[in-house]
Amino acid sequence: MAVDITVLFKASVKTVKTRNKAIGVGFDLPKEEIFKKSRPKHGFSLKAKEVISNITKLKDFLLQHRKDYVNAGSLISSDLTRMTDNERDQIDQDAQIFMRTCSEAIKQLRSEAEKQVIPTQIREHRGAVLDLIEIYLRGVCKLYSEQRAIRVKRVFEQENQRLVSEMSNLVDEVRQIEGKVVEISRLQEIFAEKVLMQETEIDSIHQLVVGATENVKEGNEDIREAIKNNAGFRVWILFFLVMCSFSLLFLDWYDS
Amino acid sequence: CCPVTAGLSMRMLNFNTSPLKNTAAEPVWKVLIYDRFGQDIISPLLAVKELRDMGITLHLLLHSDRDPIPDVPAIYFVMPTEENIDRICQDLRNQLYESYYLNFISAISRSKLEDIASAALSANAVTQVTKVFDQYLNFITLEDDMFILCNQNKELISYHAINKPDIMDTEMEAIMDTIVDSLFCFFVTLGAVPIIRCPRGNAAEMVAVKLDKKLRENLRDARNSLFTGDNMGAGQFSFQRPLFVLADRNLDLATPLHHTWTYQALIHDVLDFHLNRVSMDESVGSEASPSGARPKKKNKKSYDLTAADKFWQKHKGSPFPEVAESVQEELDTYRAQEDEVKRLKSIMGLEGEDEGPISSISMSDNTAKLTSAVSSLPELLEKKRLIDLHTNVATAVLDHIKSRKLDVYFEYEEKLMSKSTLEKSLLDIISDPDAGTPEDKMRLFLIFYITALQPPSETDLDQYKKALLETGCDLSSLNYIKQWKAFTKIAATPSNYGNSGVKPMGLFSRVMNSGSQFVMEGVKHLVLKQHNLPVTRILDNLMEMKSNPETDDYRYFDPKMLRGSESSTPRNKNPFQEAIVFVVGGGNYIEYQNLVDYTKAKPGKRVLYGCSELFNAGQFIKQLSSLGQK
Repeated sequence: MAVDITVLFKASVKTVKTRNKAIGVGFDLPKEEIFKKSRPKHGFSLKAKEVISNITKLKDFLLQHRKDYVNAGSLISSDLTRMTDNERDQIDQDAQIFMRTCSEAIKQLRSEAEKQVIPTQIREHRGAVLDLIEIYLRGVCKLYSEQRAIRVKRVFEQENQRLVSEMSNLVDEVRQIEGKVVEISRLQEIFAEKVLMQETEIDSIHQLVVGATENVKEGNEDIREAIKNNAGFRVWILFFLVMCSFSLLFLDWYDS
Repeated sequence: CCPVTAGLSMRMLNFNTSPLKNTAAEPVWKVLIYDRFGQDIISPLLAVKELRDMGITLHLLLHSDRDPIPDVPAIYFVMPTEENIDRICQDLRNQLYESYYLNFISAISRSKLEDIASAALSANAVTQVTKVFDQYLNFITLEDDMFILCNQNKELISYHAINKPDIMDTEMEAIMDTIVDSLFCFFVTLGAVPIIRCPRGNAAEMVAVKLDKKLRENLRDARNSLFTGDNMGAGQFSFQRPLFVLADRNLDLATPLHHTWTYQALIHDVLDFHLNRVSMDESVGSEASPSGARPKKKNKKSYDLTAADKFWQKHKGSPFPEVAESVQEELDTYRAQEDEVKRLKSIMGLEGEDEGPISSISMSDNTAKLTSAVSSLPELLEKKRLIDLHTNVATAVLDHIKSRKLDVYFEYEEKLMSKSTLEKSLLDIISDPDAGTPEDKMRLFLIFYITALQPPSETDLDQYKKALLETGCDLSSLNYIKQWKAFTKIAATPSNYGNSGVKPMGLFSRVMNSGSQFVMEGVKHLVLKQHNLPVTRILDNLMEMKSNPETDDYRYFDPKMLRGSESSTPRNKNPFQEAIVFVVGGGNYIEYQNLVDYTKAKPGKRVLYGCSELFNAGQFIKQLSSLGQK
C-alpha cells in the first residue's frame, strides 16, 4: 500500500527553512515571491484546455437532455418534458456544428504545433495531448450518435407501429363490410322468394278482376235493359191505370 | 498480487486517486518519469497503449535529457538513490514541469527527503511538489501469482553471488538486506503479515530471520506501522494469515536444469524471454541457408505476452502439442469469422441491384449482422495479431525442439528424476551428434549426477567426461555440483521427484494432429503426468500441516507474536488457505508451473510464487560453471 508522506515532506521543508534561518543561509525572498509565481500559461495548453472545456460543455448538454431526447416513453411523463421533433432536430444540428467546430480546432492546433520549432519531446507531448483530446471528442460523439441511433430507431418503430395499426384498422373495416354484404344478399334472396310467390297471386287476382269487369259490364247492360223494361212497364201500368180510371169514370157517368 | 500492483499503478498514475472508469471522462494529461527500476516494474504490466489511455503523453527515463514541458504535471516513479534524488533536485531547479508527484519505489530516508525539500525551497517550487508517496513496490510482478525481485543489478543477488565460496560477510549482509527490503515491500503491498517457515542452515534461514525482525519492528512502531487498518489492503478481509515459505535453491538443483514441455517454460528456455517480452529473430526469406553461406539478414522482433492475451493466459501452462493444436483451432475460428464478414460485405454490395424480394426480406437481419460484424472488427484484428504472434513464437519453439531433439531429453530426464527404468543409456545420448547442443548434454548429465542415489564409479565418470568433452561441453559446472553434493544433506534424504512419468499421447490425437499446420513428425507427443517437484512438496507439507521428516524441523516465525519466537512448533493447526513460496537463489517457470498445477487441483487455495531472480537453464549453467572454476 502506498504511504502518503506529503505531510512529512512539508515538515521537512519547514525544518530546512528553520535550519537555513539559523545558519543564516537565507533565501531572502520577499513575501510575495514565496507565493507561487504565476507562470505565464503557454498558448498551447490554454487552447487545448479551452477545447476540452468546450467538449465537456457539449457532453454535459447532451447528457442533460438525453432523457428528454430519448423520451423513455413513460406514459406518466408530463407534456412539459416531452420534446417535439423540431427540438430534437435542433439539438442534432447544434451538436453536429459543435462537433465540427471542435474537430476543426483540434486540427488547427495540430497544424500550428507542426509548424512551430520546438524540441522533440514537447512535440511528442503535444501530439499525444491532441490525440487524447480527439479520443475524448470521439467518445462524446459516440454518446451523441448512440442517442441519435436510438431516436432514429424509435422513429422507425413508431412509423412501423402506425402502419401496423392502420393496416389492422383497414382489415377490421373490410371485415365488417363483408359481413354486411353477406346479410344483404341473404335478405335479397328472401325478398325474391316472396316476390315470386306474390306473382301467382297477382295473376289470379288479375284474372278475377278481368272477369269482374266483364260481369260488371254485362250487369250494366242488364240494368240498362231492366231500366228500359222498367220504364216500358211503367208506361203500360200507367196507361192501364189511366184506362181503368177512365172506365170507372165512364161507368160512373152511364149509371147516372 | 498482480491485480494489486496493477491497481496501484493505475491509481498512482492517476495521481493516487481512484481512476474513474468513465467512458467519456475529461482527459488529464501527465508525463511519467521513471528510472530503470521503475521501468522494469511497469513494463510487464502496462503496454504503451495502456499508458496512453491513462493520459500519459510521454514516458521518459529519469537520467535522460528532458526538455521543459510547461503546464504539465509530472509523475516520478523512482528508487530513492543518491543520483536519482540529485536529478530530481536538478529538475526542480530547472523548473521543467508544472507540478511534481513523487513516488518512491521503496521508502525514502528522512535526510534525502530534506535534500529534496531544500532544493524545492531554493527553486521556490515547494508548492509545485504536490504529493510525495512511498509506494513500497520494490519487486516486479510478472503474473497474477508470480513475482521476482529487481531486475537491475541482479548479479548482485544471483545464485552465484550467494553461493560463491569466497563471499564476505559484508557482501552477504548487503544481499540479504536487498532481498528483505523487497520482500518487506511485497508484504506491505499485500497488506498481510505472514507466518514464516524456512529450512535451517542456509541463505533462506538468514532471509527469514531478517524479514521477521523487520516486520516485527514495523508492527511495534505503532505510529508508523504499515499494517494498521488504514493501510491494509486486500489482506484486510482474509481471516487467515498467509503462509510464507522460504526455500533455498540448493535443495533442488535439478529443476532449473530440466528440459521442459510446457509452453511458457519452453519459451523461457529456448527463446529470449524477459519481463514478459519475447525477442526472436525473424528471418527474411525462408530458404535454408547452406552451411557456410552467410545467413540472410534477420530482423529482431519482440512480442509482449500480457494478461490481456487470452490465448496466452489459457495455454501458457499447456504441453506444447496442445498449444500447437489450439493455435490451429484459433486460426480456423478466425478464418470462419473472416469469411462471415466477407460474405456480409458481398451481400451488402449486391444489395444495390434488384435482386428481388428475397434480399429485401432478409435485409433487416443483415443490417444487424453487419453492425455486429463491424463492431467486432477491432476484436477480429486483435485476434489475428495474437494468432500471428503465437504462430511465430510456437514455430520458433518447434524449430528448436526439432533441431535439438528436446523431446528426447525431456523424456529421459523425467525418467531419471522419477528413477524409472531407462531405455537408452546415457552415454548413447551424449555421444549422439544429432541430439542437442553441448549445453543440453551437460544439463542431462548434471541431472543424472544430481539424481543418482550413488555417484557413478570413477571409470564410468571418466567415460562420461570424455564423451562430454568430445562434444564440446564445459565441465566446470560439474566440479561445482560435486562440491554441492558433498555439502548438502542430499545423501541422507535423496531428493525425490515423485512418481513422474510420461506417456505417449494416444494414437487418435496423433491422427488429429497430422492435419495441423505444425507438422510434428518425428517429435514425440508426450503428455505430462502430474507430479510434485521438491518445492511443491515442501509447500504441500507446510500448508496442509502434514508431518514429514523433510519439513518437520523447519523454523517457525510469527512477527505478530509478542515474544521472540524461537519455538519451532507451529501454533496454528489449521491448513493454510493462502501461501507464498519464495526461492532464495533463483527460480524458474517449471517450478512456477508445477505450483500452478498443484493449486488448480485444490480449489479455494491460493499460491504465489516468487524468486530472487529468474533464470533459464542456460543462464544457470553459466553461473554453475563460474562457481566451479573457483
